[in-house]
Amino acid sequence: MENILELQQISKTFPKSNFTLDNVSFSLPYGAIGGFVGENGAGKTTTIGCILNTVRKDNGTVKLFGREMLDADTALREKIGVVYDGDNFPSFWTAKQLSRVMAGFYAQWDDALFWHYLKRFQLLPEQKLKNYSRGMTMKLAIAAALSHRPQLLILDEATSGLDPVMRDEMLDVFLEFVQDERHSVLLSSHITSDLEKVADYITFLHNGRLLMTVSKNDLAYRYAVMRCRENQFRALDSGDIIAYRKRDYQIDVLVSDGEAARKKYHDVVVDHVSIDEMLLLLIKGIR
Amino acid sequence: MRGLLKNNIYATLSGGKLFGIFMCLVGSIAVSVVSQSLLIGYGLTGIVGFTVCALIVVQKEFTSKWGKYKLTLPVRRADIIKSQFWNHLIWLLVGVVFAGAGIGLSWLFHGCQFDQPLDILMLFALGVSISLFLGALYFPLFYLIGEERGEIILGIALLCAFVMDWGLISILNDLFGPGRTAILIETAALFVCSLSAFFLSCPLTTWIYSRKEY
Repeated sequence: MENILELQQISKTFPKSNFTLDNVSFSLPYGAIGGFVGENGAGKTTTIGCILNTVRKDNGTVKLFGREMLDADTALREKIGVVYDGDNFPSFWTAKQLSRVMAGFYAQWDDALFWHYLKRFQLLPEQKLKNYSRGMTMKLAIAAALSHRPQLLILDEATSGLDPVMRDEMLDVFLEFVQDERHSVLLSSHITSDLEKVADYITFLHNGRLLMTVSKNDLAYRYAVMRCRENQFRALDSGDIIAYRKRDYQIDVLVSDGEAARKKYHDVVVDHVSIDEMLLLLIKGIR
Repeated sequence: MRGLLKNNIYATLSGGKLFGIFMCLVGSIAVSVVSQSLLIGYGLTGIVGFTVCALIVVQKEFTSKWGKYKLTLPVRRADIIKSQFWNHLIWLLVGVVFAGAGIGLSWLFHGCQFDQPLDILMLFALGVSISLFLGALYFPLFYLIGEERGEIILGIALLCAFVMDWGLISILNDLFGPGRTAILIETAALFVCSLSAFFLSCPLTTWIYSRKEY
């Protein structure tokens, strides 16, 4: 499968904060939505910074559309739409002014499409952005990111300020965006329910390290969590355990093949695992 | 570059409009009252003030994520810096036009308020060179020291620009003494030194900015 985005062994150290992004590798195929989860400070924004060249990586390669993006590769950046968390644009602008400025940046800027999104998201074009609510600001940033018809959309916590109704609307927009199999979305989010709805792949990051990347299908049909008592846990084959976490009366064990675990351990309850639970087991559990 | 220039002009326009209104009010007083010092003050404020408005905007961009967002747009880092230097020159020109209009109207109504017409050239050379030195110092310092210290950098750069001009004029006065030739030499020296500093500052700022991480 052809990848729109490929990260290989990306490393970045910030000596002042003592944070290291350590050999992060993952890829995103064309036509897919990739979710990017991890706790605060896990390195999600740094990774996105390395992808977009706002942060200079120490090692590794980032390939966008099959090649590394340099500062001079402006044509490559025409194909990327970006949304950051919070205020993406100066607060003294109006949406109308934003459209004029963006038209000067992007050769493919589609004014009609931008106005279509403004109408769809119920945003007022003449109102100053400082009077927009947080949700409106995020919707405007998403509208702007889509209106130059990019092939890859990179969103850093872009849905975090939206209420559930708005978030659902945005997720529909992203699903529409990837429908033709030539567009992809990389979505970093704390809201794992969003990723469960739309992401085809989920990458888990913790303390600057990549824990794993799993496909949505594997998450739904392969990975599982076993609810074990102490004696049941002791009887488990250590090779089956990805991570485990002791709770009050049971031990939760993450396994990569739920069906095989059901067959092998008849007396243990095997449940489907959610992204939240998987994240907690990988981060707080013992691996 | 078109988008960057539009962005800079829109950004400066909100502060620039207010400063323009202020200049119109001060200008109407400077034109109606016969006072050389008021006219000098008006001229210098106009030429320097608009460029200060343009510089304040550079910092304002970093109060939102726009400063970081710009790096994801299809523009090179060098072009972002170039556009800021161009914006500085555009607003310097606006300031010169405002100052010229006020001094011109005053001459029209009351005659020349200066000891000799050549002094007007010196006034403009002084204003323009302060603005250019200001830009030449502000841009590299802003990206080197940090965006969060924009106001203090602006204050230091403005002070240094005044001191540099004052020092330059003092040295040239000592060398050439008073007189018409001295004024012409001083004017030329102010233009040459400040323009050189401004144009040298652009690649230096680009070099610093290309190493910045956001």
